[in-house]
Amino acid sequence: MAVLDRKQSDDLLDPAFMNKLDQLALMSKKIFAGKMRGERLTKRRGDSAEFADYRNYVSGDDLRYLDWNIYARLGQLFLKLFLQEEDLHVSVLIDVSKSMDWGDPSKGRYARQVAAAISYIALSNFDRLSLYAYSDGLQYELTGVRGRRLMFKVMEFLTKIEFDGTSNLTATGKQFAIRHPQPGIVLILSDFFEKGGFEDGFRYLLGRNYDLYAVQILSPEEIEPNLVGDLRLQDVEDDDAAEVTISRALINRYRQNLQAYCESIKQYCTRRGVSYLFTSTDVPFDQIVLSYFRQRGLIQ
Amino acid sequence: MNFLNPASIALAAGLTIPPLVALYFLKLKRSVRLVPSTLLWKKSVEDLQVNSPFQRLRKSLLLLLQLLVLILAAIALGKPMFETADAYESTVLLLIDQSASMGVVEEAGQTRLEIAKEQAKLQVDSLSDDARAMVIAFCDRAIVVSSFDTDKQSLKRKIDSIEQTQSTSSLSEAFSLAEAYAQNLIIGGEQPGSDIAPVSAAPPATVFLFTDGKIEDADKVALEQFDVTKMRVTNVGLRDDNIGILAMAARRNYEHPERLEVTAIVRNFGSKPVTVDAVLYIDGRNVDIQTIILDPTPASDATRTSADPELGHVKLAAFDDIVFGGGGVIEVVLRVDDALSADDRAWAVIDPPRRARVLLVTEDNLFLENVLQTLAVDYSTMTGDQYESASENVITTDQRSAFDVVMFDRHTTDRLPRGNYLFWGAVPKIEGVLAGETVDGEIIFDWDETHPILRHVAVETIDPIRWIDLTLPRDAVSIMEGRRLPVMSYLTRDGSQFLISAFSLIGEDELGRRFRNGDWVASADFVVLVQNMVQYLSSNIATQSKRGVSPGEPVTLPIPEGVETVEITGPDGVVHAIPAARYQTIHFARTRQVGTYTIRPGVAGSDVFTVNLFSETESDVAPAKTLTLGASNVNAQAGAVPINKPAWTYFLVALLVMLLLEWIVYNQRVFV
Repeated sequence: MAVLDRKQSDDLLDPAFMNKLDQLALMSKKIFAGKMRGERLTKRRGDSAEFADYRNYVSGDDLRYLDWNIYARLGQLFLKLFLQEEDLHVSVLIDVSKSMDWGDPSKGRYARQVAAAISYIALSNFDRLSLYAYSDGLQYELTGVRGRRLMFKVMEFLTKIEFDGTSNLTATGKQFAIRHPQPGIVLILSDFFEKGGFEDGFRYLLGRNYDLYAVQILSPEEIEPNLVGDLRLQDVEDDDAAEVTISRALINRYRQNLQAYCESIKQYCTRRGVSYLFTSTDVPFDQIVLSYFRQRGLIQ
Repeated sequence: MNFLNPASIALAAGLTIPPLVALYFLKLKRSVRLVPSTLLWKKSVEDLQVNSPFQRLRKSLLLLLQLLVLILAAIALGKPMFETADAYESTVLLLIDQSASMGVVEEAGQTRLEIAKEQAKLQVDSLSDDARAMVIAFCDRAIVVSSFDTDKQSLKRKIDSIEQTQSTSSLSEAFSLAEAYAQNLIIGGEQPGSDIAPVSAAPPATVFLFTDGKIEDADKVALEQFDVTKMRVTNVGLRDDNIGILAMAARRNYEHPERLEVTAIVRNFGSKPVTVDAVLYIDGRNVDIQTIILDPTPASDATRTSADPELGHVKLAAFDDIVFGGGGVIEVVLRVDDALSADDRAWAVIDPPRRARVLLVTEDNLFLENVLQTLAVDYSTMTGDQYESASENVITTDQRSAFDVVMFDRHTTDRLPRGNYLFWGAVPKIEGVLAGETVDGEIIFDWDETHPILRHVAVETIDPIRWIDLTLPRDAVSIMEGRRLPVMSYLTRDGSQFLISAFSLIGEDELGRRFRNGDWVASADFVVLVQNMVQYLSSNIATQSKRGVSPGEPVTLPIPEGVETVEITGPDGVVHAIPAARYQTIHFARTRQVGTYTIRPGVAGSDVFTVNLFSETESDVAPAKTLTLGASNVNAQAGAVPINKPAWTYFLVALLVMLLLEWIVYNQRVFV
């Protein structure tokens, strides 16, 4: 905490909230092997104090792990196995396409706040944190951060990212999967307005067996558009234009389509074991972190 | 549905609709809004277009509504009309009755003529713009109020100018006029030089007749050009409560000429019994009053048309023994408030009592002198020589004969100032009249027994032995004829009347001996004949009142010689100045008002004449349900004329509804 740039942390996370986060830890539904010894038990046998199993002794085994008591009783050599404690890879993918810089507060800021909170929890638990900002590919990254003292780097990274370009989850997923072979928790913060479709992007990520969390962030203006008249709607990302004459029927149709689109993402995710979470920027982000993520088991 | 002004629809639609459509074709200038993604918007727009088959229609719903508004406005400008009447005709004839019965004031306070004019104007309004209409007002005569015209305002002004008359009504002249004008219309309407027979090209004129059905000659109308089935008769009026004077006369007592007897036939045409006071005025003085109780007119037509005083609804008002020695105007007034006032008063003019002055020019004729003594006449006698030598002032007064009747017994003369002359066995020396040889043994072969002179005379007893062979002009009216010779004839020349008898009462034989020319001269028939002759010739001083004329009937009035202008004052006080130089009589036809007319300067005894309605048809004000025109019956349309009602208001309402709808649609689109 002491090393954090006060201004940066104030901007995204307030201290009281960070205190609450101190109590939390990220939980993965899957247990992964980390690169370094961490604070988590993995399925790999290691040298922690946590007994796991026995096995027959074979030559070359470390004699320190022989169970002499069993040898005294049975006259056979058994080796005690212990669980390995390892660190957890936590990756946060933030959509920084232009569409995220929308709304008041913008979806981008909301995503950064969520990312900051998750990052803080991860660093507090000595998890290995990687932050990626993507639009039509990975744009910015901060990888391998571990330990709370590096929180300031995270904040610096989150503060400096700029929102620009079009969103392309497919390219991003592909890049990420190649670059990031280690299993771990992957949290995607995006509006998922993917003109090329979101499915391919997810498919690349699912291939790596990550513990995936998809958070769809929309602004209230997108959920309930407040438009009137004959308009030329211009896409902020690609300057694509849609000429519409706003009518009750059109608004109703838009709502239906939005709902169907979100539902399609949810169904896609649910079927593939991906946790999906929909939120609007008018929902306080701490509620998302403290309540929704907890309910979904990401945070404990 | 038809349009009075179809051209304006095309004009209005042509001026407004293309610009509106053009406005819609112009690219809509949309305001640009940035959105995070157009992904869902595009999909939504596509969905709407795919899902709604009426999407295009929805898109252009505003245009459609605005087009509808413009079309409705254009149609309203075209003056659409609901056709409740028949199809429009290009040629329309409006005949408006202005006779006396049209003056009945109906419940609404309007006279029938005013109602008829209103209806006629409504009819004019509902004509199409290119239709030609002609207006004819008719009473006893027909007047073309407006010849064929397409200007509706002008037609309506002219309809307004039709005035009420107190005349009887006659349709024949109106139709003659209309047919004449209709033919002129064709001839005038053709291209110059074209050779199209006018009759075959006659336009199908629709005749609108506005009347109460009281038309005297309706059944005598000969319709040649106009189709009766196309005729629309509008029946104006409802009232039938009328009491009218159908005839009136004043008569002096023969023996006591200062005593008058005035009679008037009064009839109740209404359906309720009435008690009415009949008041007699002489020169404006109230002289006598009588109360008459009249039964209602029976419903059956047979008795309805009868004017028999025995029936309860017809009564005779008789004022006896009215002492009035002078001359003047006698007026009978019914004190009643009924539908028609023109028939509540009747006038008659009676001259002062005076005996006819008769001059007998004879050498010696006891028969005639004896007869004249018995008659109520003042007579004097002259010989032929005395007559010829008498001074002018004895024979003439005011350039007329000083005597009412001058009787020449076997005396032929040319001294004949204007007057009334009776020749026995002699002839007046006027052109065309010649006396030939004496004839014996003739008999009276034929006579006009209806002639007043032969009233109560047994002609077969007249047996003159000898008479003279008369040669008379063609216009002489034969009263008695022999087998080949005229016996007694009547002739008028230059205001004089001549009765010429071929026989005299006393004959002379070849030896100069006088003999009675037939036995009949000693009979009563002779006395009656002479009295008839004197009365007939001196009828202008008859003891009974003068008949007067019907409204509108022209009257011939004698005027003093040398008068330049005659002023005739009508009952309404209007003075008509009639130039009269070089004429001895004038004809006056502006007698549309009932009442007395005074002529200044006038000939004594002819300086006042009266106009009375005396028309049963006009007095029977109950409107006729059917009208017999010629040989056809036409049903009268009661009440309002079936005009084509304007429909543009409905289009205007529809237009407003469309505007409202457009406003709602616009708001729904703009404010979601």
